[in-house]
Parts: sequence; C-alpha cells; structure tokens
Amino acid sequence: MAKFGPKRQGPRSDIPAKLGRTHRQEHLNLTTTHNGHHRPPPRPPRRPYPPSLIPTHPKHPLRLGPGLRHVPPSSILPTVAGQLIVNPHKTSMWIESNGGRYTPSPSDLVIGRVLRSAADLYYVSLSPYTPPASLPHLAFESATKKTRPQLAPGALVYARVSLANRHMDPELECVSPSTGKADGLGPLTGGMVFDVSPGFARRLLLARSRDEGGVEVLELLGAEGVAFETAVGRNGRVWVGSESVKAVVVVGRALKETDEGRLGGEEQRRLVKRLVREMR
Amino acid sequence: MSATTAPEAALSVLPRADGSAKYSYAGYTVTASVNGPIEAQRKDEHAQEAYVDVIVRPAAGVGGTRERHLESLLQSSLSQLILVKNFPRMLIQVVLQVEAVPDNDYENTKLVQASLNFPIIPALLQTAVLGLLSAVVPMRATATSTVAAVVFQDGAKRVVVDPSPKELAAARSVHVLAFTSHDELILAESEGDFSVKEWDDVYDAAAKICCQSGAGNADTAMDLDGPVNAGPDMRQFLNSTLEAKVAADLYWK
Amino acid sequence: MPREAEPSLNEKQFVLQALKEDVRLDGRDLDQYRPLELTFGDQHGVAEVTLGKTKVLVKTSAEVTVPYPDRPLDGIFTIATELSPMTAPSFEVNRPTETEVLLARLLEKTVRRSGALDTESLCLVAGQKVWSVRVDVHVLSHDGNLTDAACFAVVASLRHFRKPDTSMEGGVLTVYTPAEREPVPLSWLHSPFCISWSFYGDMGEIAVLDATWVEEQVRVGSCTISLNRHGEICQIAKLGGTPVEAVALLQCTSVALAKAKELSGLLDTKLAEDAKRRDKGGLLAELSAENDR
Repeated sequence: MAKFGPKRQGPRSDIPAKLGRTHRQEHLNLTTTHNGHHRPPPRPPRRPYPPSLIPTHPKHPLRLGPGLRHVPPSSILPTVAGQLIVNPHKTSMWIESNGGRYTPSPSDLVIGRVLRSAADLYYVSLSPYTPPASLPHLAFESATKKTRPQLAPGALVYARVSLANRHMDPELECVSPSTGKADGLGPLTGGMVFDVSPGFARRLLLARSRDEGGVEVLELLGAEGVAFETAVGRNGRVWVGSESVKAVVVVGRALKETDEGRLGGEEQRRLVKRLVREMR
Repeated sequence: MSATTAPEAALSVLPRADGSAKYSYAGYTVTASVNGPIEAQRKDEHAQEAYVDVIVRPAAGVGGTRERHLESLLQSSLSQLILVKNFPRMLIQVVLQVEAVPDNDYENTKLVQASLNFPIIPALLQTAVLGLLSAVVPMRATATSTVAAVVFQDGAKRVVVDPSPKELAAARSVHVLAFTSHDELILAESEGDFSVKEWDDVYDAAAKICCQSGAGNADTAMDLDGPVNAGPDMRQFLNSTLEAKVAADLYWK
Repeated sequence: MPREAEPSLNEKQFVLQALKEDVRLDGRDLDQYRPLELTFGDQHGVAEVTLGKTKVLVKTSAEVTVPYPDRPLDGIFTIATELSPMTAPSFEVNRPTETEVLLARLLEKTVRRSGALDTESLCLVAGQKVWSVRVDVHVLSHDGNLTDAACFAVVASLRHFRKPDTSMEGGVLTVYTPAEREPVPLSWLHSPFCISWSFYGDMGEIAVLDATWVEEQVRVGSCTISLNRHGEICQIAKLGGTPVEAVALLQCTSVALAKAKELSGLLDTKLAEDAKRRDKGGLLAELSAENDR
C-alpha cells in the first residue's frame, strides 16, 4: 500500500513505508542490480545456456527464477520468450518477460475478490477462470472467531500468497505469521481496481519503481496535488482509493495508458499534465 | 503466386485474452487466442498434467469432422511442446479462428460446409505457437512447420513448397511437416500416393525451411535432383518476431 | 464450465458512483462512443470492426442452392452468430448463452427482418436455384457493446461483399468464376445500425452510450434502437430491466439518429476508400469492361 499526494491521513496512514518495501523485496526474491550482470540478446526457447553464463558460488546454490528450467545433470533451458537476467551476486538467473496469466508463487502480494465464505475460510479469486485460492477466516490481524472481518461475496482483499505449488490450490494470508501484524494487508474498502499487465504490476512493486521500473506517473500525480492511495497486486491488479471519484479515474487512466501505450518518462510527464488539466 | 510474400505476424492483438497472435502467410490468415492455465472442466481434468484444448473455427460456415481432425492433430503436437506437467489439473485453451484462405479465381467455392484441410495446418500451428509465446506459457521448444506437394510437370517430379490452390489440385501427394526448435520432427501428415524416396525429398525440403536459421532464399519450386533451396526461413522469422516482442515488452529497461 | 468473470463489489459501486457524477472510467462523455475502426480484408465481404477493446470479424459468403419450398422466389439469407471461447473462456462451443441468443436475435431483427437485403434479387430460377448468402459473425474480443459493433460489421461486410456474376441463356444458368467475370455487389436497400443505451440509477435516469464490459455488468436496464440514417426505426428492444420514462426514450432515439448518421458516413467513407484502393490503375475496370457482354 502506498500513499501519494499532499494529504497523508486516511485509513492506512499507520503503515510504515519501510515495511511495504520489505514485502516487495521478499516477494521478488530476485532483484536486479545495476552493476555486473550480463545481458545477452533475447532468445526463444531452444538450447541450453553455455556454462560461462551461469553464475556459480562456492556456498550459495544457484537460484532459478521464472522462465527457466533445469534439465539434469547441468543444462539450464529457457521456457518462455524474454530477456535473460543474471545476477552473479545472488547466484540467480531468470527470464524477464511480460504478458500471460498470473501464476501464484509464495510471498507474492495479490488483490483477490472474495467468491464465498465456507466454514472457516474464504474462497478468493485471483484471476478469472482459475481455481479459487483459500483465505482462512483467522488469517487477519488479531482475528478471533468473533472479531474476524466479515467479507461479503465480491469484496476485495489485499493479501499475501502463503502457499502455492502446482498440485494445490493457493492459500492466502492477510497477516504476517511472524509478527502477527497486518502490514497493510486486509480488506480494501471503496476505491476501484484497474487491470494492468503482470509485467507492469511487477514494475510498480519494485523497491524503486521510478528508477528501476520506469514508472513515474504515481509520483507525478502526487506532486500535482492529487491525493490517493494505491495497493498493487502482483496478479495484475492495482487498487486506487481516494475521496474524489475524479482522482481515482485519473490515476487509473494514467496507469492504464502508461502500461498499454508503453510510455517512457517524458511521455508520462506529458500524460499526467494532460490528465490533470482535464480533471480541473 | 502468393507464396513469394514473406510471412507476417502480430502478437498480443486481442486485449482481453492471456495471449494472442495473428499470422498470415501464403494467403492464409489465422488469429489465435490463448487462455491458460485456467480451471479445467471435470471431464478434461488430468491429475498430472494440463489439458490442451484446441478449437479450430472456419471463417465461413459450420465446422465439421475435418476441423475436429485438425484439432486432434494440433492438440497432440502442442501437448508435446507445452510443459504440461507444470500445470496439473489445469486447462490451456487455444482457439484458432481462420480469417482467410487462399482465393482460387478459377473456381467457385462451396461454403456452407466449411472444408479446411491439410495445407492450412502450418498456418494453424504457427499461429498457435506464437499465441502460446505471447501468453508466456512455458514450453519445451517452439515449432516451425511447412507444407509441400509433389507434382508431376512435363514428365518430371517436383517438390513444391507452399503450393497454390491450383498446384494442390494437381498434386500427386501433399505433406505437412513440423519440426521443433531442437530439429525434432513433431508432426508428419501425408495425403496421396508417394514413394519413400519422394517422402525423403519432401523431408529434406521441409527441414531446410523449418530448421535452418540464416539468410533464406525465396524460391518457390525446385527439381528433385537439383540444388535444394526453397521457401522462407521459418525459424529466422520466428526469432525476429520474438525479438521484437521482447524488445517491446521490456522497453522500460 | 469455468464460471463467468464478474466485477467486484468495489468496482460495481465505483462505476455507479462515477456515473452519477457524469464521470466514466475512460474519461468519455456519457453519450460518446469509443474510437471505432473498420478495416476490410483482402477478400470481398470481410470486415473487422474494433470498438475500444471489442473486436468483431464478419465474413459474408454466397453459394447457389435450392430455395425453401414455401418461399420459391426468395433467396436465403442467414446470419450465424456463434460465440467461441475466444470471446471468453466461459463461452462453450454448441452451448448458446443468453448473450449469444440476444445478439443473434437483435442482428436478425435489425438486418434481416428490416429488409436491408433484397432477398428476391437473390432468386436465379424460381423454385429451383437461388443464392444463399451467409454472414458469419466472429467475436474476437468482448469488452462490452457487442451489439453495436457486430451490427456495424455485418452491414459493412454485406455492402463490401461481391457475389459471382450469373447469366441465363436458353434456360441454362451459368455462374461465372471471378476470373471470367467481375463479381457483382448485392442488391442493398438500406443500412440499419444498432445504437445501444444502458441505464443506471434507481429510475434509470442516467443513460449511457456504448457501455464497456464493466459498465454492462452494473446497468439496471438497456435499450437497443436500430435505425438507418433516414431516421426509419427498424426495431426497439427494451428487454426487461428498470422502466424508463417515455420522454427519456424519445431523447435517446434522437441522439441515436445522430449517431446512426455518423456511422453511416463513416461506412460510406471507408467503402469508397477501399474501392479506390482496389481499383489501382483502373486495370480491373478495364478487364471487366471487356467481359461485359
């Protein structure tokens, strides 16, 4: 959950910004570094990568991110079209790409829609036409049988994926299991969600989305005096809340147009100027 | 005829599908939408792997047994390409909408019962592969495909790659071959009378088109004994299409 | 069957709240269409219409067949509307949904029953040979307002279509291939367009044109008006939903007429552009002139 604009009060002002950031790094697992990683040309799925490309470390095991598969004994093959990113400091490599359907993976932050409530859990939809994820009634901050939040079908929740594997339906939680705090997770009231591409959601979730992800619109709109807050789900959904309907629409349009139009920094600045002018 | 034009493709043309592609070559235009992994119906659910559902829809008229046959051919090829074990109990749905087939100016076609057949398979398979890549579905390999006909002309046998409707009508046999990006043969369908030697020649010609990455030389036909060189370089085409997609996706880097 | 996608409560409430304040999610006015694009294929009778994120492809084809025994003088004209899983995974082949049935019915009433195509002109030999014209509607992408997009595409496709030329000599019917004689256009009488309104609010007092998928999910009623540019109304479909004031409906109709005129103008321009593109160097015209006797 991130807040923008001059007004800093609201239902979620109690969340320290720092905590939000830790989530993001946790869930990405593989963070880009700006120095020392190789960028070979993109290639479609074909041959194993040469061993010279694969980072090695005497202690840490190699970590493979999305888009790669390991064929024993030692071949690493790409499975999707994208750019190979190798991070020698973390002995990790993955394929950076955009598009497709969201596949849950542990510690991802997601925005889900409650489908129905069962005896002790909610069924939550993360994307249309996929099997529902389960969210236990007690997986909220200081929730007991009596104080748990009552969520109607159709309500939105901001949650973390606690369990995901190919053989089971995903499980969600709205509370940190170690601290017992919500850390900004929980039901989302009011506002509007906008669908963006999964790659754009990832850019928004980067620790420094402006420098690393190249998304400036949110900061620019905040600087223009538009007050709003956002929550970004890795499943390609962005929740925007504000007291003003127009502000929500402007933020949503800025996000969608930046994503779909593949806008660069200068174009984003122009877009924000135009939208703010239209709003007033 | 139209075989001399280069193949064209556009990725992610349908905004509401997980992945999509539009491909046109040699008079065929096909649009594919790919959705998945999504929840499978109970009857299609497999405990260990994803079910790949292929639906082929003709441009005009109602589909029939021919379309079902094409679907089953494509389904078995695509199931081998997709890493289906990654998504147990799920469904990956590929819908292929035929938009145009080559015109034959010398014949009036019957259209109420659509009759898609053999020579459209390469276009369908190519579009499906592009759609799957656009949907970022993990795959073991990509595939390239082509169609070749053996025709008798002036007493000599010739292998014609990407035959025109007229050449098809006159062909002794028609062959569709598809190769993975590891140069493995993944689909081979033949129709008509042919000898093993003819099939070998067809195989060589098709492998040339599908498996060679480099500067291709467009030349529609060749002699069986002459230098073998024909058709577009399909793998080169696939690579350049994907490079363009990746560059567009990661423009912000 | 995978269950249909549905917007969340927050989305529903927000869209309604915004519409009450005259605001739409994409910044449009309430009576404004999304950008409408029309492209014709290489073959005659192929039209693709893009309305925002809604995309419809229509192909017209024709063949000679036997007429229905009860209508020996009329050609056969069918519009096939089948929604495939391409539209959305919740649509299944051979299992029509309500959306599909309503779309088919509206197109049928608007184009076929309004006599836009002169079916008598499709008759070749009374009681024996007639043209059967078939229109296939393929919905490639569905982001609301399928009706208007599909109707526009159907009309565009039919007006763009050319059927093979024929001749009758001494009781022998000859159907010429495109190589022998230039195909001829259909006998077209008028061009109807569908204009769909969606209503919001307790009394249906907010009327919105060209609703997106989310907007369609929260509307309390809808009304499709089919009319041509002369203001001749072919049909009005107000299927259930909240009742709407008669005066408001009249207001909707007059706006619809303005929109129909716009659509008609756009279609004429596009058809003229396409004809010009095809007639490069006048070679085709020359060839057909030679054959014309």
